[in-house]
Amino acid sequence: MVYNLGISRLDELIGGIKGGTNIMMIGPPMSGKDDITNSIAYHGLIDGNATVIVSTREPGKNVLDWFESRNLNILMEHIGIVDCVTRTLGFGAPETENIKMASSPVDLTGIGVKISQFFEHFWMEIQLRETRLCINSLSTILMYSNLQTVFRFLHVFTGRIKAANALGVYVIEDGMHDEKTIVTLKQLFDGMIEIREGEDGYQMRVVGLTPKPTQWFDYEIDGVNIILRG
Amino acid sequence: MIETGIPKLDGYLHGGIPEGNSLVYYAYPGVDGGVFGMQTISHAVSGGRCGAYIASSTDPRMIRDQFMEFGWDMGESVFADRFTVVDAFSGLIGADSQERYVVPEPDNINSLTQCIKQVIEEMPEPGIIVFESLSTVMDLCGEKETLDAVLEWNKYAMLYDHVMVYNFTAWPYSEETLLQVKGDACNSVVSVGGISEKVIFGWYFGLLKLDWAEMIRKWVLFKILKPGGVRIYIPKILVTGPFDAGKSTVVHALSNRAVSVDRLGTTIALDHGHIDHNGFAADVFGTPGQERFDPIVKLLSGEAMGVFLVLDSANATGFARGVRMLEITESFGLPVVVIANKQDLPEALAPEEIKTRLDIPESVPIVPAVASAREGVFEAFEMLVEMVMGVN
Repeated sequence: MVYNLGISRLDELIGGIKGGTNIMMIGPPMSGKDDITNSIAYHGLIDGNATVIVSTREPGKNVLDWFESRNLNILMEHIGIVDCVTRTLGFGAPETENIKMASSPVDLTGIGVKISQFFEHFWMEIQLRETRLCINSLSTILMYSNLQTVFRFLHVFTGRIKAANALGVYVIEDGMHDEKTIVTLKQLFDGMIEIREGEDGYQMRVVGLTPKPTQWFDYEIDGVNIILRG
Repeated sequence: MIETGIPKLDGYLHGGIPEGNSLVYYAYPGVDGGVFGMQTISHAVSGGRCGAYIASSTDPRMIRDQFMEFGWDMGESVFADRFTVVDAFSGLIGADSQERYVVPEPDNINSLTQCIKQVIEEMPEPGIIVFESLSTVMDLCGEKETLDAVLEWNKYAMLYDHVMVYNFTAWPYSEETLLQVKGDACNSVVSVGGISEKVIFGWYFGLLKLDWAEMIRKWVLFKILKPGGVRIYIPKILVTGPFDAGKSTVVHALSNRAVSVDRLGTTIALDHGHIDHNGFAADVFGTPGQERFDPIVKLLSGEAMGVFLVLDSANATGFARGVRMLEITESFGLPVVVIANKQDLPEALAPEEIKTRLDIPESVPIVPAVASAREGVFEAFEMLVEMVMGVN
């Protein structure tokens, strides 16, 4: 079971990500992490994977709109979104086939239950054996809960990713957390997608998924595709 | 005694939770244990008790909506005086609260304790206090501090004969903490777990501890329905019997939704239905009856937890074939209930007469039924469920 990010140059360098891999994506604000996360999710859908996105910053409807508004040739029933925002804002939106509601980013129990429900649905009912989990973002969760609590949560769910041979992508805002927090969380991941500000925009590289870190690539976001330059 | 309203659980608790006692729903991560506490308090309040729900990870404005998703209308005016939401959430995000009881600092155990004690004191009669998430309290206030507070709250509630109920998710806390939650913290512990292989695909509950009566060690599968809440779940009940005995009619009579793969009214592959009755949910699978489909019958029967043998009470020539079908399904040792169908026909034999003509153990019950009128089928279902629960 092998996954691709859908970022062609990186995929060539990595040579396929094995099932059960957990990746931290860390980068500064406004560097396009939401689009990159959605792009990784989209390319999974193109590859026939199921995708579960935990959204802690955008209402689930907005995340779903990202996919729907682009008229993509994907099966929408393969997308599951855990919305941690809408009910925190005091809106009583009902759950749908694509969107399950967690009470708030504090509600790690509820988030965990909803992730498990989507995994069960995709695995048992639709019988998809390859699933991607994208948590966007851990930084919001860390604003509401302490590091130890989030570590416990991730310890369980990175384990579930391994058990299910799935792919996990976890987004973190660079500069929002102290070094201890990042170092502690890094223990849970197999690799990182690092993003930094370059001279002509933002750059990314992959660490831990190749024998040595890849070079830094300038990139641009072109619709659902991430184009690397250099 | 305060009943939980969870099917079977009240039986295992010997009637419910006695006043002054405490219970923890000990759920494994990813398993929805929260609904157990919600169902418990909604059952108690709708039964006339007072209840307070400590919201620690949900905006209180959303709490009643969450209950409503399960069909429990806690916002109903008749409950207004009896149901209280204690807001231990808004303080975390700096939001205002409209609730009567507000914990100003939810991440401070003393602040929470002060509010809980006030609730305990002011509840007009012995009632129930349910914590939405003890694990969230623990995450915010610390493991030891929270466990010490639980012991204090339980003691204080005992003075007022209130029942304390905690939803707890067993994240990888320290071993000492988990042992204490399962051990000394409360009078009873209900484990709510998941069956997993790659993913969690089934749920079960059972007692881990009970200190007010003899503990019944049984595990039952459950499903969560919206609306409905916790339902005991039997994944597979087989409905078999000779041709034209009324198997498909039984499946459809029992089911909330059902489909049949048939041709010209005769089942040629299977019937499938989902039952939701009286706190129990089950998936039923009906077999074809004609001999040429016997290989399918054997395939369908795997992993069944109980069997209905449907007989046409007016056609005794089919009885031997019915018993033969039980053999084909290899259901020996499984709970079996015979449905003596078509009792409305003039030549129908009485269940006692059918029993004398069947070569089956004396203990197998025979239930008279008219499936086309949905008569007798639910009695048979309840009987089979009791037998399945007894075996498991």
